[in-house]
Amino acid sequence: MSILEICQWLQDTEIGTAIRESVWWFPIIEGTHVLALALSVGTLLVMDLRLTGLVMKDRRVSEISKQIVPWSMAGFFVMFVTGSLLFWCQAVKAYGSLYFRIKVVALLLAGLNALFFELRTRRGISAWDSDPVPPLRARLAGFAGMLLWACVIAAGRTMAYNF
Amino acid sequence: MRPFFEWCDQTAVGEAIRDSRFIFPIAESIHLLALTVLLGSVVVLSLRLLGGGLRSQSIPDVARTLAPLTLGGLLTMLGTGALLFCSEAMKCYENPPFWFKMEALGLAILFHYTFVRSTTRSEEAAASRVRTAVAAVGSLLLWFGVGAGGRAIGFY
Repeated sequence: MSILEICQWLQDTEIGTAIRESVWWFPIIEGTHVLALALSVGTLLVMDLRLTGLVMKDRRVSEISKQIVPWSMAGFFVMFVTGSLLFWCQAVKAYGSLYFRIKVVALLLAGLNALFFELRTRRGISAWDSDPVPPLRARLAGFAGMLLWACVIAAGRTMAYNF
Repeated sequence: MRPFFEWCDQTAVGEAIRDSRFIFPIAESIHLLALTVLLGSVVVLSLRLLGGGLRSQSIPDVARTLAPLTLGGLLTMLGTGALLFCSEAMKCYENPPFWFKMEALGLAILFHYTFVRSTTRSEEAAASRVRTAVAAVGSLLLWFGVGAGGRAIGFY
């Protein structure tokens, strides 16, 4: 089966069809997906701003991270579940959309950026945890995170249009 | 009210946006990015008021840090929102979720810059558990009401 055929099969399943054709489920899932941006990317923004040395400079980076990132993770869980359901019911349209592909690539890059930060940059955090402005590699992780998430959001919104 | 909506609909700005394939989606995307900043700052402040999130900082401290994000997000949303509105003012006039959104928006702004602000200004004001809980729950309900109403405009 090609990817397109898998997408077709997915959206023709009972659940995919039910969501797509329901009066309430689609708007509720879509609305939740949009509003959960506040919990996921909105909270993560505070962490990224601290990493770039723009806010709460008198607080340790690890302290902000410990208090904020669990909420972002909860937000991403909501985004992932609602996003999967939205994909499920319109997989063919998503597969054919350039903006969906841009969104997926930006998501993967945002994930890699976070992974690289966790596995490498964060290892040496004790040396700069209390610095008002963290070193360049940490600031870059913060700026890249904000830029990539902005791309995810803008591309996600643009999926609704046919250019 | 109707003449005002008709006037907005006929402005050069409204017409230019309708004639362009790109301005509307771009304004929509910026509107959504600003929503992330605005509602994100409301969530972080409300979490703190309820005893979660940035607990090691004082409430006035958290409020001071977030104030520029809230204001910047709000002003960007009002600017892009006005553009989107001008391009489809008559559609909005007939759209119940739009009216709900505007009422919730008025209340949210009022609530934030009076009650929430005075609650988070000093440690003394923020000492009352009832007061901080009302500020947090009220903020979340009002701002997420605005967001849900906004999303519903397109579905109605």
